Amino acid sequence: MLEAGAWYDCTKQSDMLQWPYNAPHRAARSKAKPFGYFDATLVGGWQVPGEPYTNAPGTDWLWWRARMLGGRTNHYGRISLRMGPYDFKTRSRDGKGFDWPISYEDLAPYYDKAEELIGVFGTNEGLENTPDGKFQPAPAPRGYERVIKITCDKLGIPCIPSRLAILTQPLNGRPACHYCSQCGRACGVNANFNSPGVHIFPAMKTGNLEVRTGAMAREVVVGRDGLARGVAYIDTKTRRDETVYAKVVVLAASCCETARIMLNSKSGIFPNGIANSSGLVGRYLMDTVGSPVGGHLPILEDLPPQNEDGVGGNHMYMPWWLYKEQKAGQMPFSRGYHIELGGGRGLPGSGALGGSDQILGGGYGLELKRNLRKIYGANIYFDGRGEMIPNDDSYCEIDPNTLDRWGIPVLRFHFKWSDDEILQAKHMQETFQQIIEAAGGKVLYKSGAEDNWGISKGGEIIHEVGAARMGDNPKTSVLNPYCQAWDCKNLFITDAAPFVSNADKNPTLTITALGWRTSEYIADQVKKRNLAV
Amino acid sequence: MKDISRRNVFHILGAAPAAAALTGQAALAAPQPYRRKIFDDRQWRTVQVLCDLVIPADNVSGSATQAGVPEFIDDWLDFRNREDENQNVTAQIVGGLQWLDNESNRLFQTDFAAAALEQQEQILDRIAWPARASDADLPWVAFFSRFRDLTVGGFFSSKTGVADLPYLGNKAVAAWKGCDPKVWAIIEERMKNGYQGLGGEVKPLLP
Repeated sequence: MLEAGAWYDCTKQSDMLQWPYNAPHRAARSKAKPFGYFDATLVGGWQVPGEPYTNAPGTDWLWWRARMLGGRTNHYGRISLRMGPYDFKTRSRDGKGFDWPISYEDLAPYYDKAEELIGVFGTNEGLENTPDGKFQPAPAPRGYERVIKITCDKLGIPCIPSRLAILTQPLNGRPACHYCSQCGRACGVNANFNSPGVHIFPAMKTGNLEVRTGAMAREVVVGRDGLARGVAYIDTKTRRDETVYAKVVVLAASCCETARIMLNSKSGIFPNGIANSSGLVGRYLMDTVGSPVGGHLPILEDLPPQNEDGVGGNHMYMPWWLYKEQKAGQMPFSRGYHIELGGGRGLPGSGALGGSDQILGGGYGLELKRNLRKIYGANIYFDGRGEMIPNDDSYCEIDPNTLDRWGIPVLRFHFKWSDDEILQAKHMQETFQQIIEAAGGKVLYKSGAEDNWGISKGGEIIHEVGAARMGDNPKTSVLNPYCQAWDCKNLFITDAAPFVSNADKNPTLTITALGWRTSEYIADQVKKRNLAV
Repeated sequence: MKDISRRNVFHILGAAPAAAALTGQAALAAPQPYRRKIFDDRQWRTVQVLCDLVIPADNVSGSATQAGVPEFIDDWLDFRNREDENQNVTAQIVGGLQWLDNESNRLFQTDFAAAALEQQEQILDRIAWPARASDADLPWVAFFSRFRDLTVGGFFSSKTGVADLPYLGNKAVAAWKGCDPKVWAIIEERMKNGYQGLGGEVKPLLP
């Protein structure tokens, strides 16, 4: 296994339980650490030193990369939602986007296995297109989450326990969560899912896996027969060009980086990049639609202090609930979103209790100090996470004019939201404001038509998927239904590049389930000598 | 320092296997005398006085200055200068401090830091409540809102402020039980009967 970044072991390198007052600038966000000083990302962020990407005119794409073992699984939100039956057959359902060549039933057994391996808590609810799973017990909701649940019940919005890859019971030698709420720092005891602690280190213990870090993959090397022979990479320590040879090559570099490696793998047989006879490598890139609203709930003011940390993330969430209305053509946008929420007496950082004048009207002195204590923990925010429909205007390609410091041509992005996404963001804004007001609260920040309803920038939600989609026709897809390249049978992809659609369900669980299914297929094909080299 | 506190929490929990996994953290440097990066001596006096006007000591905790907030603000402005690649925030803060002295000298013939408390309050009362302020004072209102946020954020993210709130987390707990039933009983009562929020009366939540 090649890893472009450094070795990382969260049990030794996590900043768990550190205090912001002991960190520079109270652990605030910075360009070098955009998610805060304690974020698990070692080297990376919206920019990686010496590894640029470019945007075509009119595009404002953001690309988060984590150059470290386990990549973004070290800091991600651990939200683990299965895609539902509708999500695999989107075109059949509403005529937009494309159908996957597989169905929910094909992937369901692998969702089971993935959940049981990584450990996901949740509850079985039997909701439409929101499949249940193999869950550990869900943690009880926090006070503000119970208020929001009651409010949502009144509004007819389902509010159910979250599904997060955080252990509430011990699993395979990993202890249960100790509820310090700082999963983004990486967990010093492996109580949440991260790929080094749960996948890579156990695999290394078998003796069958060698990991090479500081290995910046640049090209899949191809033989005269058109089969992959291995991967050429730059050893970032020696700056030497090396090649590792393999019978089967699996790309899992993250969606866009995988597309970059494929497009840079040009040869006489593959003049447009490896396995790209369809011309679809890099195409139909998607991200998730995001839009936030925040508010203040007086009902939460001046309550007796309690520890509201819990797990790292919301204990409750709202799955999409208007499937029937959309099917009946009663909605101005075609796909759904789920709602994430936050609030409570969280860890105070540099901006603690900022903007208090919006609630208290201003002031200073003893009265201000007293009132600040009373409003601490009474703010709440909602984040929509919605499905984007793939479009012809959103893709990445090689920028012919720009190199990274390893001599590898970089990606240039093109990205556009359609009205389906923008009107979805509008609905998020209206819904979240409605919830806050129904709970007796005051909206503190929101967006309107003037800023496209607060819709996130492409890539900003860090759910980029697509770019090498699977299908049942080699002319209209890059991969077959087993994530095997149509044009190069010993090349597979196990990140989010094979995705055909991008449901509101966060991609990591589906990446894990698809990866498992693909791995089983590879083992089976090797056994049947269909892949022997 | 942090390793010790971490060991303690796990020791209390009896979570020996988890604690055993926690090694190798580089300890943060011991605190050293702070060296100012932004404020000159006169600004520094004004910042100290103003911080403590925003967050004075009371029977719960010390003042903003006692909690190291002036140092936090000085360091924060330097940080923003580098991060934002402009000095707009610094300009707003030192510009606002300049105005406090201008105004104090115009009205009371003394710098703001040396003025009597009632004189300081007379100036602050013009700019501390945005909705009540006159249009002519809006630039100073914006300055003070920013200064208040910096002071409040610096104070409540300090060790003193964390204990004052109090924030009770960032530690290992043996079992998660959800919302404290006593707290929930208060919330439920408010939902049924309505309640007096800081901003006024709020109606019952449940129909």
